[in-house]
Amino acid sequence: MAPSKAPTGHFSILYFAAASTFTNKASEHLPAPAEARNLFSKLEELYPGIKDKVLSSCAVTVNMAYIDIDGDDAPDLELVIKDGDEVAIIPPVSSG
Amino acid sequence: MSTTESSSYKPDIPREPVIQTSEKIHIELTPNDLDSLAATRFVRSPSAGATVLFIGTTRDTFNDLPVSSLAYTSYAPLAMATLHTIATTLLAKHSLTKIAIIHKLGECPIGEESIIIAVSAPHRQAAWRAGEEALEETKKRAEIWKLERFEGGEGVWRANRDGAMGVKVGEREGGEEKQPEGAVA
Repeated sequence: MAPSKAPTGHFSILYFAAASTFTNKASEHLPAPAEARNLFSKLEELYPGIKDKVLSSCAVTVNMAYIDIDGDDAPDLELVIKDGDEVAIIPPVSSG
Repeated sequence: MSTTESSSYKPDIPREPVIQTSEKIHIELTPNDLDSLAATRFVRSPSAGATVLFIGTTRDTFNDLPVSSLAYTSYAPLAMATLHTIATTLLAKHSLTKIAIIHKLGECPIGEESIIIAVSAPHRQAAWRAGEEALEETKKRAEIWKLERFEGGEGVWRANRDGAMGVKVGEREGGEEKQPEGAVA
């Protein structure tokens, strides 16, 4: 699953399950630094409709730690995604 | 745009099992067939009077619709960390002797094992409870996704938290049904 290392000035983003289907990608590199608060709108620009159809039910991790960017008062809106970070879009899980 | 999968979708899965094992905890995500006997052997101990083994197998229907095949994908490094946290927590909470959680990745033929949980404890009550809790926590939290392919149709990403056909994420607006989920058992 490990994507190729992000080139300088970029972070990696991983798409799973419905997010992977919608983007038709398992991962890609996006420009860094980027503010977490703008992540979903950036993805909406790249993949129109993804916000409502997929992201609204997804969680987000940065370097394998969950961040909370849901709502105007969410604690991690100020977080800056840096060069080389690994971001993942985590749809509702379904193991078992 | 649909978020269902075409029938040709091939999930990206590790070729080799991903294993984290210590004296008391065994966590594994594997493309291979699951071995319930090996899990039982791992947790068996002279200090444990009870071993509970749960085997989850894939069903051939969902809401009466025939399922033709299933595949699991995962954010493996994070799922391993999550499963290890679940195991560590339950080991302490129920004073378990040992615990093993093993999940299948990739194609899983109908009727075959998709998850195995084995726990051992000095006494049966703790083993029963911990076994159930390990399964519920795994289903709720492990970063693993199931793609169900229906006969004559597309694949659908399931979501444990809403049961129903909910995972057709794109078609969920309005009339969303909540119901207990039961991918296994």
